[in-house]
Amino acid sequence: MASHSKNNTYLKKSFFYPRALRFAPIIITIIILTTLPLYASSYIVFVAAIALLYAMVAAGYDVLLGYTGQLSFCQGAFYGIGAYLSAILTVNYGWSFWQAMPTSVLFVGLVSAIIGYPALRLRGAYFAVTTFFLAHFVYLIFLNEVSLTGGPLGFRGLRPPEPIGPLSFESMTNGYLLILFSFIIIYALLRKFVNSNVGLILKSIEQDDILAESMGINTAAYKLLSFVISAIVAGYAGTMFAHFFRLLHPTTFSWFLSEMVVIITLVGGVGTLIGPVLGAGIVTFILEFLRFAPEIRYIGWAIALIAILMFEPKGLMGLIKRVGVK
Amino acid sequence: MSEKKRLGKKSIAIVIIAVIVVVIGSVLGWYFMMAPAAPRVIKIGYSAPFTGPAAEFGTNGWRGISIALEEINARGVYIKGEKYTVEVVRYDDRCEPTEGVAAVKKLILEDKVIAILGSHCSSVCMAIAPLCDENRIAGITIECAADAVTSPGHEYYFRMRPSMGLMAPLITPVIIDKLKPSKIGFLAINDDYGRSFVESFKKNFEGYGVSTVVEQYFERGATDFYPYLTAIKAAKPDIVFYVGVTPEGALILKQAKELGLIPEVKFIGSEEMGEYELVSLAGKEAVAGTYAISLWAPKPEIKELASKVKEKFNAPMHYAIVFGYDALHVLVKAIEMAQSLDPATIKDALKKLEYEGLQGHIKFESFEYGGKLFVNQGRWTPYLIRWTGEGEKELIGP
Amino acid sequence: MIDTIVLTQLLNGFILGLIYGLMAIGLTMIWSVTDLPDFSQGGIYIISAYVAYWTIILLNVPYFLAIPIGALAGILLSVAFERIVYNRLRPSGVLSCLLAAIALFFLLENVANALWTPKAKIMSVPETEVSLNLFGIVTSYHRIIIFIISVLLFIFVHLFIKYTKIGMAMRAVAEDREIAALMGVDTSKVYIATWALGGALTSVAAILISPLYAVWPGMGTLPLLKALVVVILGGFGSIIGALIGGLILGLIETFGAIYVSAAYQHGFAFILLLLTLSLRPKGLFGRR
Repeated sequence: MASHSKNNTYLKKSFFYPRALRFAPIIITIIILTTLPLYASSYIVFVAAIALLYAMVAAGYDVLLGYTGQLSFCQGAFYGIGAYLSAILTVNYGWSFWQAMPTSVLFVGLVSAIIGYPALRLRGAYFAVTTFFLAHFVYLIFLNEVSLTGGPLGFRGLRPPEPIGPLSFESMTNGYLLILFSFIIIYALLRKFVNSNVGLILKSIEQDDILAESMGINTAAYKLLSFVISAIVAGYAGTMFAHFFRLLHPTTFSWFLSEMVVIITLVGGVGTLIGPVLGAGIVTFILEFLRFAPEIRYIGWAIALIAILMFEPKGLMGLIKRVGVK
Repeated sequence: MSEKKRLGKKSIAIVIIAVIVVVIGSVLGWYFMMAPAAPRVIKIGYSAPFTGPAAEFGTNGWRGISIALEEINARGVYIKGEKYTVEVVRYDDRCEPTEGVAAVKKLILEDKVIAILGSHCSSVCMAIAPLCDENRIAGITIECAADAVTSPGHEYYFRMRPSMGLMAPLITPVIIDKLKPSKIGFLAINDDYGRSFVESFKKNFEGYGVSTVVEQYFERGATDFYPYLTAIKAAKPDIVFYVGVTPEGALILKQAKELGLIPEVKFIGSEEMGEYELVSLAGKEAVAGTYAISLWAPKPEIKELASKVKEKFNAPMHYAIVFGYDALHVLVKAIEMAQSLDPATIKDALKKLEYEGLQGHIKFESFEYGGKLFVNQGRWTPYLIRWTGEGEKELIGP
Repeated sequence: MIDTIVLTQLLNGFILGLIYGLMAIGLTMIWSVTDLPDFSQGGIYIISAYVAYWTIILLNVPYFLAIPIGALAGILLSVAFERIVYNRLRPSGVLSCLLAAIALFFLLENVANALWTPKAKIMSVPETEVSLNLFGIVTSYHRIIIFIISVLLFIFVHLFIKYTKIGMAMRAVAEDREIAALMGVDTSKVYIATWALGGALTSVAAILISPLYAVWPGMGTLPLLKALVVVILGGFGSIIGALIGGLILGLIETFGAIYVSAAYQHGFAFILLLLTLSLRPKGLFGRR
């Protein structure tokens, strides 16, 4: 009886407190991020914008890696295709951003569906290798098709998104806010998706895809769905980047970007959706902080990564969960 | 998934302490980075690639800058009778535009530098030039080659060396005069630099009636040039320009010799191939008798700088060192001319100054060439050199 | 005139293919025995080449001695990774191990970067740079050396797998790990042996090719990817498949670079991969 009443009070406490507390950090963070331009320099705003883009791509990627268990390396490719296509449509063909962006995103979705359809039938490592190559191949196209992408000479002349009414996106602040708000919306949508029934199905595939298949779930279709979703998010982030930074160069979309996304997702905590977002913030912070020590930047980074993998494969979120549950 | 033990109290304490240490460390570090210069210190920023494939450029630029810095601080900079010392803050931009923008923004907004030096890669220079205008802080590029960096130009962004589009018209007559080719070929690296090189030399030679019979491009880091050299051999040019960095250059010369192209065909290297690095990588034999376009000539002042570099860094001479060295001296001269730390006044001084640098006579001019308007651009004539059997440079022209 | 160029490229492609084959054999063995496509071999490739380079430069060791020294470094690293990292992560699943392998590759590449700068180093071996003219084909002594050493290694590996106790144990584990364990095979010993052999093959491949190509921190990525393609092309777990697959890729790449496009020469591996996966996913000699 004593233990029973203890359980009751425990349940009551854990029911109310976390509920209220759960929303507080999110709201505080959103407020801080939204008001950032007011008190921080444009350097910090710029870095924050880039970090948010990484966070966007990583969150989308987590749907693929964390919820379906498919390791892929071609986010950079989709990010780049979104960026370059939007650039080409707006600069070479005079489209408005608001037309070019959805078109680019749809195109990326289409490309990912076409590639994903046969590719996802492959077992894990084969798929990973294929995406490795795909990313490199797309990078070669960015580099070599000079007439299309400007190649190594860069693609310049991009304009910010056309103003909506009186709201112009010319300034760094407004560009940043646009990125911030799209991030919030996309994250919310991904969250909803992942918590829905479809998300549960994805999770079951990640746990044991053979079992899921035997229960009648069309695993191929769901894997494709998560692949396309992660691609679309990356493509969207690409269009945002293109019109925010306004200079495209193949080196920005190299293998390094895909590597970073994977690392961010790992460090933050695969399969938690919020983990990769935190990971993006932390990685960006550390790399910026170490900018004055270029030689050790990436090594310190790689060692931390190995340490994380060995001691806490669930990344930051794993660590937090371990500390939080008492 | 395996069950992880719940963390005991001790582990939690360790984690919390670690987090606190990291946070305090970062905040302190950030604070120190952000502190404005102590009085009588002139803070200058330097953005360059220190990691990534272009890392040697940043490293060498930094060597030149550090030696110049020593010389300058030894005598001091006098503004309105007060003695100042100079401090240079350097950040890595990995030769990537978004990094360059972040680095320069940090330099200008957090470190509060009054002028920028950098960068080395054209893509980064193109990204940071607008920032200089926006923030009204003068920037001198160390070595970006693409025309687009100063054309259309930026009021606050300067380039000492002639850009790619200008190298060709300046040195082509020298090459034609001394080597008299009738057909030329190119083997170039596939990036902003390589492509602009080929584009402009091709056009300039055409103007003298010399046609290009073969053009081949390779990736950065490429090591097998046999396919390209085979195609080049088939096309039979008199001169082949090989464009890239020294490791590739060394392999190109070796493989070209293996295929029998050298010495039948005259190989002229791009600016990197005029560096000692090529000799140490390829060996004196492979390099002897080949030519290169060089950004510095074997002058006595350069030999002096070279020995300082050898002494201090145990490294061979390189044009990035020369440019870094000149850049800081030019900037400080502008500051002295301006007799002020106001960035806009410094910018005006830069526009007016003339300086006999180790690279050549430096003067920032605005002019039109080839239908393009160049702003704040230097125009000295580069050098054609030939490598001797002893691994030294011999000046052929101008 | 054209004929000798074609023959020269034939030889070059063949030699390149042997190198791919060596690395692929190591990878396919590791993969089939331990279930892990070991991406960290890309890092091993880099480090062993540098170890060989430095022993030649600093200790004045002849090239032929530098090969086993570099291979030793590769063996030690591979085994260390297995014992320290992969062993711990194995219970968490293949995905964790794969991610760790990638992280280790990343780590090794950045260590090389920091210690020895990104600037490429040329491993000069004057003894073997001697040019040869065989029936009009211009080649170097070095390529013949590659040929000889590779063939010897292939024969060695083949005999090792077929006739030694450990080799047979490796094959047993590759067939079915659980049954092999039940039959008393010491899987951890087998793993160590597999990794040692794989690391050795990767290292030798790297050191053999280094005098022809430069030594730089980024040198591991493309060879790793291509070796993986060769593993898939040749058939999972098949050594002869790795050899033949390697030759095919080497030849296609070399000729493709000349006759189709030099800029996309690394893309041929991708096309080969796509073809294999869509037409014959088992690979040429695959068992699974």
